[in-house]
Amino acid sequence: MKAKALALCAVLVALALGLSYLERFLPLQIAVPLPGVKLGLANIVTLMALYFLGTRPAVTILGLRCFLGSLFGGGLSALAFSLTGGLLALGTMTLARRIPALSVYGVSVLGAAAHNLGQICAAMVLLGSVYVISYLPFLLAVSVLTGLATGAASSASFRALLAAGQRPIPTQEVSYAGNPR
Amino acid sequence: MTGGGGLSFRRGDLTAIGAVLLCALALGLVLWARAAGTDRVVARVYQEGKLVGELPLDREASLTLTGAYTNTITVRDGQVAVTYADCPGADCVHSGWVSAAGRAVVCLPNRVEIRLTGAPDVDAVVG
Repeated sequence: MKAKALALCAVLVALALGLSYLERFLPLQIAVPLPGVKLGLANIVTLMALYFLGTRPAVTILGLRCFLGSLFGGGLSALAFSLTGGLLALGTMTLARRIPALSVYGVSVLGAAAHNLGQICAAMVLLGSVYVISYLPFLLAVSVLTGLATGAASSASFRALLAAGQRPIPTQEVSYAGNPR
Repeated sequence: MTGGGGLSFRRGDLTAIGAVLLCALALGLVLWARAAGTDRVVARVYQEGKLVGELPLDREASLTLTGAYTNTITVRDGQVAVTYADCPGADCVHSGWVSAAGRAVVCLPNRVEIRLTGAPDVDAVVG
């Protein structure tokens, strides 16, 4: 069981790296001319890890993805950006998942917004300036669209995982036992 | 089944979207209100946190900075943009032309930041 979980984590890290590499080729920047605008495909993996493995493995996968991603290109500042954004998104999504009124879509949108907020914070620290915040309103608006897109992708892949017999990790505080959904 | 994790779109998701958009709008309004009332805008160019140039937007100008990478900053028609960059993403060039006080154009790889401020010195936030 432990070996299986380890293998699954490794696969998810590889998947996240592959997705973040892939999205470099999507010309989203031409449609939305803002720095830092990405689809956030790797967030699908974070969400998947969060739902099907739990918070701790999700943090591990995120950390490894950011570290390896910065080795492949981007260096230290890229590491600072992806870690700040990623951890804030993960924290937000962990909490958002406990809100029963939200589906994967809402959780994903909030995660995307948190990711952008984190990146702007990292940029403010790195540049020692608050001026970068002028990007934030645009980035937040865009994050609704990218969050919905990755939410739809997550929803589809979660359905496939459930059909394959995988069971999500329940949230700690709320028990949904007996809920037929 | 999974808490905040039904797989179909729910009404609660609209609330989440609304909350994010509201934050964006509120922040945008605050920034816009701060910028309003400044008529003469100056682009201050910082590299590695140090002021390396001041370009009033009412005068055509061009400034080339070298560092880890090269950036060319151009002022034309009351707007400023990074018109050339050899850094990998060239996000700064993609940022396009900006003119409103309070906005910024950033080239992170080269640690260059262009802050648009109302003249002469109102950037009290920056400290």
